[in-house]
Amino acid sequence: MPSTLSNPLRLGLRQERVIPPQCLIIFGASGDLTHRKLIPALFELYLQRRIPSEFAIVGCARRPWSDQDFKEKMKTKLADQISENEKEWEQFSNYLFYEPVDLQQSDHVVRLSKRLNEIDKIQATHGNKTFYLSVSPNFYGSGCKALKAAGLIDDPKKSRIVIEKPFGRDYSSAKKLNKIVQSCADESQIYRIDHYLGKETVQNILVMRFANTIFEPIWNRNYISSVQITSSETVGVEDRAGYYESSGALRDMLQNHLTQMLAVTAMEPPGKFEPEAIRNEKAKVLQASKLADENEPWNCCIRGQYAKGGNSLKRLKGYRDEDGVNLNSTTETYIATKVFIDNWRWQGVPFYLRTGKRLPKRLGEIVLTFKDVPVHLFESTIINPAPNQLILRIQPNEGATFKFEVKSPGSGMKSRPVEMEFSYDESFGEPSDEGYVRLLADAMLSDPTLFTRSDEVEAAWKLYTPLIELMEDSPWKLPIHKYESMTWGPPESDQLLSKDNIFWRRP
Amino acid sequence: MKPQLTLQTPLELPHQEITNYLNQLWISEDEDSSGANTFTLMVWQPAWLEQCLVQSGLISGPITGTLSPEIIKIAKNLIIDKGLSHTTSIYSEELLTLLKENLSNNDFEDFRGQFFESSISTLNPRRLITLAPTLNKESEIKTFVSAYCPLSENTITQPICGDLVVIRGDSNSIKKKGLKIIDDLSIKDLPSWLWWNGNLDESQEIFNYFTDQGIRLIIDTANGSPKRCLKILYQSIKLNKAINDLNWVRLKSWRESLAMIFDPPSRRPVLDHISDIDVDIAEGNFLQALLLISWISDKLKWEFSKIDKHGELIKIEFKRNNGEKISTCINPVPLGNPSIHSGQVIGLRLISKISEVRKNNTCVILGCESVECMRLEAGGMADMQLIEQVVPNAFSSSESDVSNLLGSSRGNTSPLFENAIKVAVQIFNGFNK
Repeated sequence: MPSTLSNPLRLGLRQERVIPPQCLIIFGASGDLTHRKLIPALFELYLQRRIPSEFAIVGCARRPWSDQDFKEKMKTKLADQISENEKEWEQFSNYLFYEPVDLQQSDHVVRLSKRLNEIDKIQATHGNKTFYLSVSPNFYGSGCKALKAAGLIDDPKKSRIVIEKPFGRDYSSAKKLNKIVQSCADESQIYRIDHYLGKETVQNILVMRFANTIFEPIWNRNYISSVQITSSETVGVEDRAGYYESSGALRDMLQNHLTQMLAVTAMEPPGKFEPEAIRNEKAKVLQASKLADENEPWNCCIRGQYAKGGNSLKRLKGYRDEDGVNLNSTTETYIATKVFIDNWRWQGVPFYLRTGKRLPKRLGEIVLTFKDVPVHLFESTIINPAPNQLILRIQPNEGATFKFEVKSPGSGMKSRPVEMEFSYDESFGEPSDEGYVRLLADAMLSDPTLFTRSDEVEAAWKLYTPLIELMEDSPWKLPIHKYESMTWGPPESDQLLSKDNIFWRRP
Repeated sequence: MKPQLTLQTPLELPHQEITNYLNQLWISEDEDSSGANTFTLMVWQPAWLEQCLVQSGLISGPITGTLSPEIIKIAKNLIIDKGLSHTTSIYSEELLTLLKENLSNNDFEDFRGQFFESSISTLNPRRLITLAPTLNKESEIKTFVSAYCPLSENTITQPICGDLVVIRGDSNSIKKKGLKIIDDLSIKDLPSWLWWNGNLDESQEIFNYFTDQGIRLIIDTANGSPKRCLKILYQSIKLNKAINDLNWVRLKSWRESLAMIFDPPSRRPVLDHISDIDVDIAEGNFLQALLLISWISDKLKWEFSKIDKHGELIKIEFKRNNGEKISTCINPVPLGNPSIHSGQVIGLRLISKISEVRKNNTCVILGCESVECMRLEAGGMADMQLIEQVVPNAFSSSESDVSNLLGSSRGNTSPLFENAIKVAVQIFNGFNK
């Protein structure tokens, strides 16, 4: 009997695009991202039979590893994922190569160029190259320059550069970096990755909005009273203190992931489902976004830092007690802010964005709260009728919930809220791919739809410039509020909303 | 899609000069205009119906090779006027025979091969070769050559150009000379496709010539006898040659809709208890229904037991590996206004018996219209848990289906289709046992 764990009738029906012959070069191959995300994503693509036989992955880092070392390191790191597909891993590992490279050394890059030519011949990759810069952001500019100097990105049709976040530290550095990168390669060759856009649920926002007639007519200031965008993590800083101390929640999450969710939620419908049409609309909405109070930004932003917490079974350290963190650190691990979008669709509708570490749940969600009915005809079983809400769950328990009022059973005419549910698990029953699976494939297919364009990145930084300037020039005006680990951030964050008679949704 | 026109009026050239002419065409000082580096598409384009209608004066020329709504309308009216059964296909031999009685034998302008849909041109075929057989049985080979550069919406992109060749003549001269010309025109390093845009029972020698060359095939098994079509399909997969079938492509929404019903994990146990499947088709060729049943049985790992014909009904029996029997039935339904594609699936009913209590069992009904759903619902199906869905048979043009195939093919036969063919052949062979 067929297994009903997966839908047997679904097998083979999905027609995925096949990646063309390709050489993927990963700079920073000895780093975490390579073994945590990139190689697992590529192996998943291999298991899905989307990797062509003419393929190569060349790991590059300063460590003097050989091809064999690289294969073994990856095998060890990915042991859990490989255990069920050992035979496939053996075949996949034939694609793995390694070249010791320091991008700052021009002779290294020249040597790499020669090696890539050899690999191109052996693997018949037709000269197609995708360079993945998984290195310190400080080296993005110089890395691109080195690739340009070695002639590795001269052909705009056959070469691409994927750049990880953060792209810059603020508006001016992002602008400067864009200028450098664009002097080395055409914008069409540059893929600025934001893995949130690779999530099925984020892409589904576009489909829900633009493939249904019922949402778009009410997706505006006439019907929506506020929008909340939350991305919370239960983990602390872990072993990323070095990076996190200089970035904080604003640069690590708010400027990129949350702002991309804001853009996808608020953008106008594109004329066509084409990369530039979509990116134009995202850029436009970001350019129209501004902090709720640009002149006195401390009125529309709350910063927090997790303090110790937990329970008698598990004690949790405060941020300042974490390894590698300055004892007097003022880096925010939590940030909440209020944004307006100055356009016809959203004028006057507050968008509340919050993100933080050591919060009670790991989740991402977008909550659209609709306006109250003009007249309350019915009494509610609770104090007031709850406003309608559409909750788009990005992760976990991916799906959507629509909350609305119905008649409470009984002889009276009282209303009560109920929920209509859509769950990926219940509807499709199969896990969706990790964001990196989708994005790596798209980059190699030269499809930039889900990557951020230079003007989007700059607009996102510009939006938060008043906050960044304040944090740097007068940090006391935007103080760090402590919050106990595993609580929903500092109480001041609740006050940000309660001023508007709104509350954060407790997921 | 608008038809794509050539850059220049096709030039009539003696066939001996074509190769040389084409070679010269792409030799240029500018390296970028050396022609697309994609594929060659050959099209067998008899357009017998259109030729007959033009020759009979029922439509005005020129002959284009495109099955226009006007042609379909006139052909359907003729079927009624000539007293043929309403279910007669517009491609049927009966209709053509009647039309051939009143041919004028005049010369009409013939633009076959000079028009092709932009959905195909945007794929930038390097060379398009059209074989245009004529009704006139004493028509010598004529060859025409032209270049084309599809206009891209992306103005930055340099136009990617290709060439097209039309080989026109009666079937006999195409067989004797046309195939030799094609031989000379093949571009060795590029993949070649043949779209057989005609009945698979005719001009078999010409068809076999292409299959012997290992060219990737696009056929339509709605247009040919099931025996011949299955033979072609089976030979292709046996010899590991890429084959695509527009009749299978048109099943896509049925396969997708059925799979979608079982996406929610809570419904999957239903699949383990299927006892009956009924497939309604428009009267005619039953091959599409056979492929649909074959696909389901392959995915659910059923073993074929036997096939019987009861009048028009075809009954096929399978066995699950626990020994349980599954009965399936292909049921041709007479329709007033059938699709131009013979024997298209119009409804599917699947019954899963999980218990003796009827209301605990499940009935899945897919119909191309709600009326068909209601028809399949008859007989107490509503007593069971009923899952119903309308799957509209909204067909795209063959050109558009061909373009999708060319754009998405990996150069081999789809594994799903290949497995369905194997089962379908096994079932069909059961007729002879």
